[in-house]
Amino acid sequence: MSAFLEIKDLHAKVGDKEILKGVNLTIESGKVMAIMGPNGCGKSTLSAVITGNPTYQVTGGSILFKGKDLLKMTPDERANAGVFLAFQRPTELPGVSMAQLLKAALNAKRTFLKEKPLDAVQFMKHLKVRATALGITDEMLKRSVNVGFSGGEKKRLETFQMAVLEPDFCILDEMDSGLDVDALKVVGGAISVMREEKRSFMIITHHDDLLRYVAPDKVAIMRDGKILQVGDKELVAKVEEKGYDNF
Amino acid sequence: MTISKLPFLFNRQEKVLIHHPDEHEWQFIVQERGELEAFFLPINQNLKVSVILNGAGAKSDIKCAYLSNENNDLKLDIQVLHKVKNTTSNQQIKGLATGESSVLLTAGIEIPKNTNGCEGYQNHRGILLSDKAKISATPQLEIWSEDVVCSHGSAVGPLPDDELFYLETRGLKKSQAEKLLLSSFFNDIVPGEFRTHIKEWMEQNV
Ligand SMILES: Nc1ncnc2c1ncn2[C@@H]1O[C@H](COP(=O)(O)OP(=O)(O)OP(=O)(O)O)[C@@H](O)[C@H]1O
Ligand SMILES: [Mg+2]
Repeated sequence: MSAFLEIKDLHAKVGDKEILKGVNLTIESGKVMAIMGPNGCGKSTLSAVITGNPTYQVTGGSILFKGKDLLKMTPDERANAGVFLAFQRPTELPGVSMAQLLKAALNAKRTFLKEKPLDAVQFMKHLKVRATALGITDEMLKRSVNVGFSGGEKKRLETFQMAVLEPDFCILDEMDSGLDVDALKVVGGAISVMREEKRSFMIITHHDDLLRYVAPDKVAIMRDGKILQVGDKELVAKVEEKGYDNF
Repeated sequence: MTISKLPFLFNRQEKVLIHHPDEHEWQFIVQERGELEAFFLPINQNLKVSVILNGAGAKSDIKCAYLSNENNDLKLDIQVLHKVKNTTSNQQIKGLATGESSVLLTAGIEIPKNTNGCEGYQNHRGILLSDKAKISATPQLEIWSEDVVCSHGSAVGPLPDDELFYLETRGLKKSQAEKLLLSSFFNDIVPGEFRTHIKEWMEQNV
């Protein structure tokens, strides 16, 4: 059987600048992989390439997701196949509300799966349960997506979208930066609830803040566009203590 | 309002909403304390609007939403003349161009010498929905009086890539993402009764 996610010798650049310089990484089904690495080493670029951001050109290598060649798929096809990214810096969408966005997204997924769209009552119910759990108010659902929200609120809204869309592969890019202690607990809880056999997580982080609530199965250390080492969760403490110079 | 001979005279507060398939030339004269509020919706159609603020306290508020597709060439010309002191004008123009269409917008404000205490505002945003569509906007500001408040701005370009990408990562096809981003684009200028025209156009062209 093929791995859940298998990245081989992945190279990507922007303009003339090579950012990913041969990334190799395998994530198994049902696992949490933490990715740690210094600023600018290419963590967000990796998440952008996995999700199909056209800013980055892939110049070599492959990404297989449940046996499917992700690099041949459009961003929306990847999303509907189950790939989700909680952005490090979520994009503002003036004029589009969170409720509108999620309705369109859920229906896109259901159309893709050849299911009927949710009716208004089912949709609101699906949203409300998760909104309550994550402290998302009705007012936040009505406002333009990410416009004028605080850093921590944006992160919670990203987590909320993940909870609503129930993707199989969740990439969380620095979810823990900007979250206060209580929000961290709430977000950590939401992720833990979602952990199951068919779902994997890639948690990009600089600290053990979120990892205290969501214990990683493995930790990968990234530097200068490559994965240098993959180990178990003891690596987190090593990074916290000694930084990246020893890798 | 009933349509009679040009130009239309305004000496009180009045609202006109214009989506008129055959007529594309409009002239308005706003008299003392008259207030004109007009909305135009040219769809693959030329438009020529001239407003003369002709009495003290006269105001005009012109809103225009344009749509062009296929290989249509649109000429939109909106001119406001502040003929007397203490008059106020505002122009808000928004539009979409797709296919191989082109839009040429000239929007003007004229405030002659010694016409004091006037305010004139103008704002335009055009969105290009295809590589071959063109929108060129030339503001014509002829401000000869010194005691005025004026501002203008114009921005033309495609929908922002990062906004489209964000929506695509949520599972929306590019065309659905475009539709969603555009669904509220005209809301601040288009009166409710005209939204269906825009919706229909978008269904066919986005
Ligand atoms: N669109 C772009 N244009 C130019 N350079 C880019 C672009 N995107 C990323 N880079 C560069 O690529 C490198 C990797 O950036 P990336 O955002 O992936 O780092 P990161 O590991 O996520 O860092 P951080 O921990 O600060 O979030 C950086 O040097 C960055 O400046
Ligand atoms: Mg980053």
